[in-house]
Amino acid sequence: MKLDPAFIGEAFVKLLSAIPTTLAITFVSVGCGLLLGIVTALARIYRVPVLREISSAYVTFIRGTPMLTHLLIVMFGLPIAIDALSDSLGLSFRSVQVPMIGFAYVAFSLTAGAYMSEVVRSGLLAVNRGQIEAAYAVGMTTWQALRRIVFPQAFAAALPNLSNSVIGMLHGSTLAFTASVVEINAKAQIVASTNWKFFESYIAAALIFWGLTVVIERLTALLEKRVARYDRGGVA
Amino acid sequence: MIALKQIRKSFGRHEVLKGIDLEVEKGEVVAILGPSGSGKTTLLRCINYLERPGSGHIRIGDCAVTCGHPSKKEIHRLRGRSAMVFQQYHLFRHKTALQNVMEGLVVVQKTPKEEARRRSAELLEKVGLGAKLDAYPSQLSGGQQQRVGIARALALNPDVILFDEPTSALDPELVGEVLAVIRKIAREGITMIIVTHEMAFAQEVASRIVFMDDGAVVEEGPASEFFRSPKEERTRQFLKRMTPEGVYNI
Repeated sequence: MKLDPAFIGEAFVKLLSAIPTTLAITFVSVGCGLLLGIVTALARIYRVPVLREISSAYVTFIRGTPMLTHLLIVMFGLPIAIDALSDSLGLSFRSVQVPMIGFAYVAFSLTAGAYMSEVVRSGLLAVNRGQIEAAYAVGMTTWQALRRIVFPQAFAAALPNLSNSVIGMLHGSTLAFTASVVEINAKAQIVASTNWKFFESYIAAALIFWGLTVVIERLTALLEKRVARYDRGGVA
Repeated sequence: MIALKQIRKSFGRHEVLKGIDLEVEKGEVVAILGPSGSGKTTLLRCINYLERPGSGHIRIGDCAVTCGHPSKKEIHRLRGRSAMVFQQYHLFRHKTALQNVMEGLVVVQKTPKEEARRRSAELLEKVGLGAKLDAYPSQLSGGQQQRVGIARALALNPDVILFDEPTSALDPELVGEVLAVIRKIAREGITMIIVTHEMAFAQEVASRIVFMDDGAVVEEGPASEFFRSPKEERTRQFLKRMTPEGVYNI
């Protein structure tokens, strides 16, 4: 069998329609994950009773298990929970009414949350303790100090790691294929299923992922220039 | 104006402050001296509750707090009465000099932005940084950063400004410019409590000296008397070590 370069182009065009699904999974999981990460990181840094233990257990469990496992557990476990809840409330809602992509959103948000928790934590720890003391001395409340002084600096410090996590989630979103969600990778398989030109199809998928990743890298660089403008640090 | 009563503070089993009493009148400049580890910085940080005293009473103006378990609101109110200048400056690193000074005015005191900007620019002018309004702290020297720190404290128009070793982190050649600014505002009648190692400066600028050792006030008195005729043996030892031979022999 010979390589069919023309089919790479053909597949590429067909795969474009799956980009929104891939991006949706990526950004929903990164968005929810970031919120989850901020809450769990704060709970751990400020040693909030109970919440802190739960957060630590969550982070170590999720980081200690593969992303695919999270998806499978959510995919098979969540319907049972939903149906039981629906029954006990006397509702007619069934888990089959939940679109499959919903399970991917939930599972990957949980995955991203644990990694984001570490990203956020490292960012917060990079901010000098004196910054929040100065904010208190100026008369700010804890929330004002966090929002106006600590978070912007933590964000700047965490940005490289954050970008890494976003790229990780973009590539990880291919696992949604297990839940029969047609993202780029699944689409590549479908496109090739009639003529068996899987190799060409996957090359097209790789090119698209690469392109999306480059876009994320560029956006990060721009953002970094903006938010870290105040700091000309580093070794270079 | 400011009254501290029986302030006690322990770190673990080590008692750092052993029941400190201190009163400061409006317009007074009080310098707290003492060897390292004597608890002077801890005492200063207790006044705005950056350290939580174990027990005691703190009053600044009409705001009184009983230490132990004050509410967040009480702490917040107390902090509103003072401003602090830190040894390591602690300017907000992501904000320009002007934004640093404006921040408290806008966020805490809810001053309209334009007015805050005008007042902040005036204060920076006053500390000699009128040309550096848009510089970030990383672009300023230590002395310049500390002067921004002083302008930030002045902007709040507090009842008292707390100085925590304001020149200890500076290169010797930059100490002078910061002391000059502190001297200038001391003359304007702003109440100040200064923890410092600059003996000559303390003698010149302070109206009263408090000498601390081992978590207690050993001696206090007017600056002139303190340096010329210290009463306690411990004070004499300290002054002898801190001042080069001959400086205070007239």
